[in-house]
Amino acid sequence: MDLLHYIGIGFSVALQPVNLFYCFLGVFIGTLIGVLPGIGPVGAMSLLLPATFKSSPEAGIIMLAGIYYGAMYGGSTTSILVNIPGEAASVVTCLDGYQMARKGRAGPALGMAAFGSFIAGTLSIMGLMLLAPPLSKLALKFGPPEYFTLMILGLTILIYLAHGSITKALLMAAFGIVLGAIGMDEIASTPRMTLGRMELLDGVGLVPIVMGLFGISEVFLNIERRIRRDIFQAKIKGLLPTAKDWRDSRGALARGSLMGFFLGILPGGGGVIASFVSYAVEKRVSKHPERFGQGAIEGVAGPESANNAATGGAFIPLMTLGIPPNVVMAMLLGAFMVHGIQPGPMMMKQNPGIFWGVISSMYIGNIILLILNLPLIGMWVQILKVPYKILFPLILLFCLIGVYTVSNAVFDIYIMIAFGVVGYLMKKFEYEGAPLVLAFVLGPLFEVNLRKSLILSHGDFSIFVTRPISACSLIIAVLLLLSPLIPALSKKREAIAKEETS
Amino acid sequence: MRHQDTYSSLFWTAIGAGSFYEGCRLGRGDLHNPGPGFIFFWMGLIMIGLSLSILLRDVPRKPTAGERTSVWSGIHWVKIIAVLISLLLYAYFFTTLGFLLSATILLVFLFKAVEPQRWSVAILGAVSSALIAYLVFYVWLGSQLPRGFLELG
Repeated sequence: MDLLHYIGIGFSVALQPVNLFYCFLGVFIGTLIGVLPGIGPVGAMSLLLPATFKSSPEAGIIMLAGIYYGAMYGGSTTSILVNIPGEAASVVTCLDGYQMARKGRAGPALGMAAFGSFIAGTLSIMGLMLLAPPLSKLALKFGPPEYFTLMILGLTILIYLAHGSITKALLMAAFGIVLGAIGMDEIASTPRMTLGRMELLDGVGLVPIVMGLFGISEVFLNIERRIRRDIFQAKIKGLLPTAKDWRDSRGALARGSLMGFFLGILPGGGGVIASFVSYAVEKRVSKHPERFGQGAIEGVAGPESANNAATGGAFIPLMTLGIPPNVVMAMLLGAFMVHGIQPGPMMMKQNPGIFWGVISSMYIGNIILLILNLPLIGMWVQILKVPYKILFPLILLFCLIGVYTVSNAVFDIYIMIAFGVVGYLMKKFEYEGAPLVLAFVLGPLFEVNLRKSLILSHGDFSIFVTRPISACSLIIAVLLLLSPLIPALSKKREAIAKEETS
Repeated sequence: MRHQDTYSSLFWTAIGAGSFYEGCRLGRGDLHNPGPGFIFFWMGLIMIGLSLSILLRDVPRKPTAGERTSVWSGIHWVKIIAVLISLLLYAYFFTTLGFLLSATILLVFLFKAVEPQRWSVAILGAVSSALIAYLVFYVWLGSQLPRGFLELG
């Protein structure tokens, strides 16, 4: 009964005209940036964060969440029609989606991607509604040691799932923690590593780092070589998949939704890992694995449902524990904080309107996305034809505006440019940005909880192993870190990384 | 690139050393009472250890076939440096020139410098994009953008 009552509250918030407008705006922008290669959901959310300052917290968060799951929808369009993923979670959709388009089946591929995304997105929201309340209750029992070890576990999973070298990912996480610690020390009130700059007393901003690492560096990578995009020219017709398509895809849709949801909960998991795992599973369970890569519709249905289901799952750690599992959720955490709301176990009680309003808006957003993505596919195809030489100056301008309007400080523009260069070099030298950003966000919490735990225990490290939840988290983290020493597991991890890179 | 990890690991060693030094300077405290430099000290040490392990693995090994082709080959350096300098100049003159003027100049440059387009396209595109951005962010969303010496906007 309680759940129904809260769902009622959620829909009463989500259906307010202003919130409906923001939901529409979010999913529209999300689809747009999903379609356009070169700017991902993180960049778009950073850019539009200042736009939420004037709105109510629920409207702002509804819009930013809409950008996230909208981008998952939009990303598939470029994968299918151009063979270039609009964002990372749609990389694997290129394999069969583009082949379907080449065989004259672009319509059913786009249709299945949209329907699969809708079904999985809706199922994952249901999962979120069912799992969030009990997890919030459990999280109330967490103290500093539990939070600290949970963050260790989160970072470890992220590092374990990193594409390349674990050592490099660990290095990036350590650097992220150092960056996150810059500024005034919360406990001793001492300025740290501020280099005498007043602007650094509040720490380095998340937005300049994210925009530099994911926005500016991406532009540098794209302009360093001339890009050719072959857009699928034939007229797209028959968006509705046939009965046979549905029969072939139903298993992939169900498995993709389930796996995507649970992989979304994992730190660092998110849509990217979910879509790759789903593709690998579909290929393995298929009676005709040789069809994969040649235009198998299951190769579109599985990954597209998985990456959308992951968005719902990713909200669970953020909403119930206050811990973002990926960079997009870290941006959303920033947005919550800007509005004076602390996501975590108390959020459901203190701000039920926002908590349930945001979740309910995702149902509505999924319906809007279905409408946007099927009848309006022609419009998105036209947008795809905008050449990059026109697009990149605009992306740079939006990054510059976005970073300045968050803090009104020119200093942040310099920080963004510096991280743009660092991000470009990191990509060249095969270092990942995600562990850095997540560690940067979790860094202050990580440090405070570690220091509080040590003060509580009078410097006794056994506090982390004598409490059951923190002991469990630590054991799993240690096993994951040691797993590369086990040859079979190491080979499996390398295989996943290789598949993702290729 | 031959031994590309060597160069990157040296860079991260230096960053780690900086963090370690800052940790010592701020005071790391002890386990009973960790000081403000605690996290910098330990993270610095971890960074030094990790980057040295990358270095030690990279130096003795022979470069793979892929690495013999430099990751830097075929890159249009001029374009990247031009964009980088234009961004730095934009930041430097942003408050003096104001948003509208600096954004227009930056966009004209970017439209012309990387993959040159006709002057009419560059100027029209730059002016209209800057104006639209100004209307959306300054007028509609109420974001604070500098007006510059010409008091534009």
